[in-house]
Amino acid sequence: MSTAGTTDARVGADPLIEFEQVTRIFGTGKEASVTAVDNVSFKVDKGEVYGVIGFSGAGKSTLIRLVNGLERPTSGTINVLGHDVSKLSESRLRHVRSRIGMVFQQFNLFQSRNVAGNIAYPLRVAGWSRVERDSRVAELLDFVGLGDKAKAYPEQLSGGQKQRVGIARALAVKPEILLADESTSALDPSTTGEVLRLLRRANEELGITIVAITHEMEVIRSIADRVAVMDKGKIVEEGLVYDIFSNPRDDGEVTFVGSALRDRPTDEDLARIRLHTRGRLVTVSLKDSAAVGALLGQAAQFGVSFEIVHGGMNTTKNSSFGLLTLALEGEGDAVQHFVETMRGVTPVQEVRYGNEVPR
Amino acid sequence: MIDAYRDLDWNYYGPELIDALGETVQMVVFAFAISAWIGLTLGLLLYTTRAGGLLANAALFWIVNFLVNTIRPIPFIILIAALQPLTIQMLGTGIGNTAVIHAMVWASSFGIARIVEQNLVTIDPGVVEAARAMGASRVRIIFTVILPEAFGPLILGFTFVIIAMIDMSALAGIVGGGGLGNFAIVEGYQRFRPEVTWLAVAAVIVMVHMLQIFGNLAARKVMRR
Repeated sequence: MSTAGTTDARVGADPLIEFEQVTRIFGTGKEASVTAVDNVSFKVDKGEVYGVIGFSGAGKSTLIRLVNGLERPTSGTINVLGHDVSKLSESRLRHVRSRIGMVFQQFNLFQSRNVAGNIAYPLRVAGWSRVERDSRVAELLDFVGLGDKAKAYPEQLSGGQKQRVGIARALAVKPEILLADESTSALDPSTTGEVLRLLRRANEELGITIVAITHEMEVIRSIADRVAVMDKGKIVEEGLVYDIFSNPRDDGEVTFVGSALRDRPTDEDLARIRLHTRGRLVTVSLKDSAAVGALLGQAAQFGVSFEIVHGGMNTTKNSSFGLLTLALEGEGDAVQHFVETMRGVTPVQEVRYGNEVPR
Repeated sequence: MIDAYRDLDWNYYGPELIDALGETVQMVVFAFAISAWIGLTLGLLLYTTRAGGLLANAALFWIVNFLVNTIRPIPFIILIAALQPLTIQMLGTGIGNTAVIHAMVWASSFGIARIVEQNLVTIDPGVVEAARAMGASRVRIIFTVILPEAFGPLILGFTFVIIAMIDMSALAGIVGGGGLGNFAIVEGYQRFRPEVTWLAVAAVIVMVHMLQIFGNLAARKVMRR
């Protein structure tokens, strides 16, 4: 047992969640087994919103269930709130779980209990007295804006309202970590925004650390500080949301981020673009949009004319970024000279279309 | 037909019918009061010990599943006879209503087990997972999530079983028991008085309808739809 002093020292000093070379294999035998999570390592710090994004079947659901021990790793260690959850017995795990809230894609509300009963359930499990429960439930209903729905049953609520109850229930015992498992995937776009704003408030006002898995870029853009991109059980990219989204990758690989953002022209787009322009196609990052704008203003002085053929801006939690695809035309070396100057300002990537030879 | 009922000796058949009805009700109520608990326990075992269940235990599941599959298909009339030695040992008699109640407990317990299991597997596994994620113990989950979530369908399932038990109780006459089945056979069939047999039929029909209406109402109230 650690003393109170060392426990205090651990807060803030160590990450709340730390995965080290974690692998989870389902089934046995070479052909039947599926590696859902493949040698994954990452850390989540106190107070941050960590997003995990990937196509369905990438292993995200298994990953998030490893955090609270709903799934056990085949190998590797998982440290959560100072406990090695991969080694805890089911009964000891319960104490860790009571410090972690979880929100589900299908809400998973108890149909046999009304809204207040759903929110009070984890409080009963945690042994709160009736008086404490009642006042906490009222407080949470207020926080999620459902003060008038205490007596309603889940089937009488809309999807967005159900998820707000789900969030209130997950926050009930004042957990340190909130796991959001595709929390907006069953909702329409307008309710998605409502639920995401609520998660953001939980993070900002209550200081709760959030791990959110999703296949929706919208979720990552609006609430995540850091993001991990998952593919076939592995984390293939990880970093600050802004960095991952704003840096065009040069290997031309169709990444999840790229395909979800639709920020660069597809082959079909290029075919259409080629119908009316013969210019050299480049994609420039708008990380520093002011500098790019200034340079484009001087294009004529370089003897280059440009046309914006594709592009878009995206906003993240605290910044914006985007990619612009340009068709450049000019005499002699003018275009090459202009591209080189641009490279001094921002990342620039050649766009290859079909069998065209890059210049 | 109407003439037959007008000429019936109601002073004799009236009290006889009421007595028979009372005996049927008594047999069903006593047997159900015991088998409901046994069946519920066995059904919960089947549901929780299956692969991926809360108390996943392949050996225990195999044993309970085998028992249910073995006892359940035995025709009730054979079960009464087959259980008689055990009935005598346990109750001191192998005949009468008590012996029939004993056989009914066996037959309905295993039937209820299967019906409980079938209703529990329809519960959304997500709510069980949610309760686990909150740190609820497995026993708590069984009593505060699984049973309440399946309560409505369980009421309908139990209604079905009670009606099946009225059916079982009709065979009580075989071992000297009473009830509506015995009344229909002894007073009606064996004395060539179909109008008397039909009195028992009518009593059973009324009883079953009332039970089903009550079961539906209760289930609807619980499920709020």
